[in-house]
Amino acid sequence: MMLPFLTAAVSAWLGLRGRRKACLWVWLLTLIVFAAWCKVHMTDPLGLSF
Amino acid sequence: MNTRYHSDPPRLCATLNLLALAGICVVLLFAFAWQLLYNEPPCPLCLLQRAAFALVGIGLLLNARFGPAPLHYGITILSALGGALVAGRQVALHIMPGDAGYGSPFLGLHFYTWALILFVAIIAYCGVMLTLERWLESPAATGAPGLPARIAMWLFLVLVAANMVSTLLECGFGACPDNPTHYLWLS
Repeated sequence: MMLPFLTAAVSAWLGLRGRRKACLWVWLLTLIVFAAWCKVHMTDPLGLSF
Repeated sequence: MNTRYHSDPPRLCATLNLLALAGICVVLLFAFAWQLLYNEPPCPLCLLQRAAFALVGIGLLLNARFGPAPLHYGITILSALGGALVAGRQVALHIMPGDAGYGSPFLGLHFYTWALILFVAIIAYCGVMLTLERWLESPAATGAPGLPARIAMWLFLVLVAANMVSTLLECGFGACPDNPTHYLWLS
């Protein structure tokens, strides 16, 4: 669960150092890791009906 | 609004973007302080919302570092949408009558409800800024970021890294329990 923070910190570091393209690629990697953790923690059915 | 900004659209937009990045820092700092002061380890969905704020912050950091650009607003909007999805899910989990919700409320609302409001506000902010910059024909800033921007960017980086350490202490390298009560690596 720490991985999205690690990759986000790397992305922010790259942005700070002026490496925009690398920052954007690592941001994308962070988004993918974020989505993977969402799949792990957000798949239980909700007790709601609409 | 300061009249000086009327004649200097890039300065206005840069100031607003800097305030937005500072706002993200305040959100991360407040959540972190609450976690430590009230000994409430964040749940997995809470951590995902913090990660989404970090993703949002990267878009705003790029605005502060390289000047505003539609690409930066685009990744900010996508990040806020991800965060709104997670926060909305947690709101739905606790929306039934009689459900006390997760964690302590702040000003009458739980943190995931505040997060949902903030993520929607961030999306609206990006829409306003994209429109404003187009309307003012604001060119991208080309100079090096000033001291306030550098402070905000470094503070953001430190807060994201601190969240990484905190999550490592709470959950180790694996998944976090649904209702954490202690720090895995501190017990």
